[in-house]
Amino acid sequence: MNSNKKFTIMIAGVITVVIFWIGWVSSNPKDEKAMASFISVEKLLNDKMKKRTKLGGLVKDGSIIISETNYLDCSFVLKEGAAELKVKYDRSRPDLFKDGAEVIITGQYLDGTFYADELQTKCASRYEGDLRDESSYKLTEIET
Amino acid sequence: MDYIRDYSLVFIFFVLPIIFVIQPLFLNKINDFENHIDLSSLKRKKRLLYRQIKELEMEFDIGNINQKDFETSRKELKVEVSEVITKINANKI
Amino acid sequence: MTPIAGAVALNLAFGFSILSIICLFIFTLNEDKRLFLTGQRLSLGISFFVFLATFILWYQLIISNFDIDYVARYTSIETPFIYKISALWAGQSGSLLFWLFILSIFATITVLQNQSKHHGLMPWVIISLSIIQLFFLILTNFVTNPFMPTDADFVVANGNGLNPLLQNVTMAIHPPTLYLGYVGFSVPFAFAISALMNRDTSTLWIQSIRRWTLVAWLFLSSGIILGGWWAYQELGWGGYWAWDPVENASFMPWLTATAFLHSIIIQEKKDMLRIWNMALIILTFTLCIFGTFLTRSGVMSSVHSFTASSLGPIFLIFVFLILIVSFSLMYLRRSELRSEKRMESFTSRESGFLFNNLVFVVMCFAVFWGTLFPVISETIRGTKITVGPPFFNQINVPIGLILLALTGVGPLLAWRNTSKQSLIKNFTFPILSGLIAAIIFLFIGFKGSVVISFSLSVFVLATISTEFKRGISARTKKFKESIFKALFEMVSKNRSRYGGYIVHVGIVFMFVGFTGHAFDKEKEFSLTKGQSDHVAGYEFTLLKLSETERPNHYAWISDIRVTDNKGEYVTNLYPEKRIYFHKNPDVNRRQPHSELDIYSTLNKDIYSIFSAVDNENGVAFIKIMVNPLVRWVWIGGYILVIGTMIALWPRKD
Repeated sequence: MNSNKKFTIMIAGVITVVIFWIGWVSSNPKDEKAMASFISVEKLLNDKMKKRTKLGGLVKDGSIIISETNYLDCSFVLKEGAAELKVKYDRSRPDLFKDGAEVIITGQYLDGTFYADELQTKCASRYEGDLRDESSYKLTEIET
Repeated sequence: MDYIRDYSLVFIFFVLPIIFVIQPLFLNKINDFENHIDLSSLKRKKRLLYRQIKELEMEFDIGNINQKDFETSRKELKVEVSEVITKINANKI
Repeated sequence: MTPIAGAVALNLAFGFSILSIICLFIFTLNEDKRLFLTGQRLSLGISFFVFLATFILWYQLIISNFDIDYVARYTSIETPFIYKISALWAGQSGSLLFWLFILSIFATITVLQNQSKHHGLMPWVIISLSIIQLFFLILTNFVTNPFMPTDADFVVANGNGLNPLLQNVTMAIHPPTLYLGYVGFSVPFAFAISALMNRDTSTLWIQSIRRWTLVAWLFLSSGIILGGWWAYQELGWGGYWAWDPVENASFMPWLTATAFLHSIIIQEKKDMLRIWNMALIILTFTLCIFGTFLTRSGVMSSVHSFTASSLGPIFLIFVFLILIVSFSLMYLRRSELRSEKRMESFTSRESGFLFNNLVFVVMCFAVFWGTLFPVISETIRGTKITVGPPFFNQINVPIGLILLALTGVGPLLAWRNTSKQSLIKNFTFPILSGLIAAIIFLFIGFKGSVVISFSLSVFVLATISTEFKRGISARTKKFKESIFKALFEMVSKNRSRYGGYIVHVGIVFMFVGFTGHAFDKEKEFSLTKGQSDHVAGYEFTLLKLSETERPNHYAWISDIRVTDNKGEYVTNLYPEKRIYFHKNPDVNRRQPHSELDIYSTLNKDIYSIFSAVDNENGVAFIKIMVNPLVRWVWIGGYILVIGTMIALWPRKD
């Protein structure tokens, strides 16, 4: 039974080390971009959170403004329910990014504007409950 | 004539499966389930054991297993194989 | 008429599944063989009706019957034929039917294959499979029915059609490949449950499912790699793995399945690790169901997710049931599961495999933790905290490197105990190779985990070649064969072992590819005709900007000339900016899409994206990424598949 005990201790030891390791990384991520609080726009505006946050919502129709001087630079308004937030983003925009698109942005809030460094649009596959679709069927044929 | 086609489709796809499924229930009661010694699975077991013996020999040739362990394991496997062969021969009769 | 037949078929399948379970359960109590036969045939009947329903749905998709909601949502008259077929798994209800379809194929094969063997195990195997089929039948009959008629007051002239982003071959075959993997683990799981129920935890159930497990593992691995390949080629963010919840959902069962695949070798040879093996297959199957659940519910927000549907809670309940029932069974049968054999030494092959199991499970837990972190943090702290790739990489890179090291160490350990001389004899060459490699890499200027990764790769390749050498020289000495004959005979007579080593070579190559990430460079800039810009030592010149109209899209094509830092010509890149449905009067239905162009060598990939075009001024906005060593990931993937096929190659006897 002695050797069995050896192995049990080793396994227990490894598990303990791993739990501490994971716990430590969870509290002290090396990269500040590792974690973000995923909250609602309303909460962000109410609490004026300075931490790195992730938000989801729709691009408000007509709100996309592209800078004259730098094509990559743009701003738009993120709409989640009734809450609206001005967003600035300066990286290349994904193809699906347009009026009414469902987006997830990550970045930091400062003085009324959200500075996003990550912007994702929802995957193109059509799934139930797709917020962009009000009607599911086309009523007329597509012109070809 | 359409309904002949429809009814035959219904018969093939829905009635036949039900007949297929119920049929065994009308046989005479059989209780020899577990005792059925089947030749093919014994033969398979024999082949598997021979393969294991060969693999053991290869491991020994490579040096993954020491002499004593090799001989112990080989003996165990050979005993198992002869038991299976006995069962096979008994069954053939 | 036929859509109704499809729905009826699903109803009958549902009924048969309940009957099959009851019938076989009564059989296990009273041993009346007639009940077993009927139960078995009921099981075949379930599959029959599922096949019927699936073929009917396929037929409706092919003839574009827009009276069915599913057909109208995921196809249109213009959809190419192959994508009408693949539309079966494009949406939620269809893909659940497809899961059921594959499960039914596997159940049928299992039943027919085992008609003359494993009589003891079969009743509970079929019961387990029928219960899983029942779950999916409940979903497709009552929760999300693929035969639902279109909810419209008018006749639908044309369906929605499939998004052009999804209209490529990889995207068509990636889900089925993954599903073949997920579903494939149902069979080993069913055998495991049966072994527990029958109190027969010997190697019988293991021997029965070894090939199944390997095949399911092959599909799962291929599915994951295909997903990464598609993301890299099509999505345009320059990577192939983002630690997205849905990606993780496929990776976690892969980890436990790989551990299981290795660990059953020990049970077959030494009858040890029984408890581990039971736990691993239960975990693997549960994670497969959990993976399907993660993709189908809105619990995690990811680019793949579906928004909230009633499916989530139902899946979650099923997952909990599987875990509770399986682990309770394990507890009840704990005396049969305990093996008398004991591990004796830390430097034995047995303990190597034990440690291997441990590391895989740890990594699985780490991925699980990261994936569910938002849910956990919300429950504890009230805020959902999401974690991104840096978090996963920080935790998983060390664990991955340990796994890589184990891949090299394992094969060189002997059974029960490795003597000191063997240790020295086997490990000297690989360790020396690894150390020399490390010194060279440090000298070149690499640092940290890059050096460790490359050196370990050299180490593992050295151990694998040592293994081949040992096997060949054993044969040449014993049978006096030539080296080539010895190699051929050796592999042929030990397909699992040497096929496995080849898979390991593939894994090493993939690690080399992963390590290339550390050197990724990217830059975004704009170019007019004749202008150039530089990235990572390459110069990019826009030669020409042209436009063309194609059948279903409009395209701007850029012609970019690439030269290296010595001025030598490298290649031309032609990334495109496309607009699909460009003639659609509704501006919002027009779909922009960047068609990438990638110049790929063993050394690096030059990845070009045409982000946007300013037509009036003839300006092209380009993003360039230089990604070293990516090709090694795909090469490694191919080698992995080849190795697995060698391991699977059937023997004549």
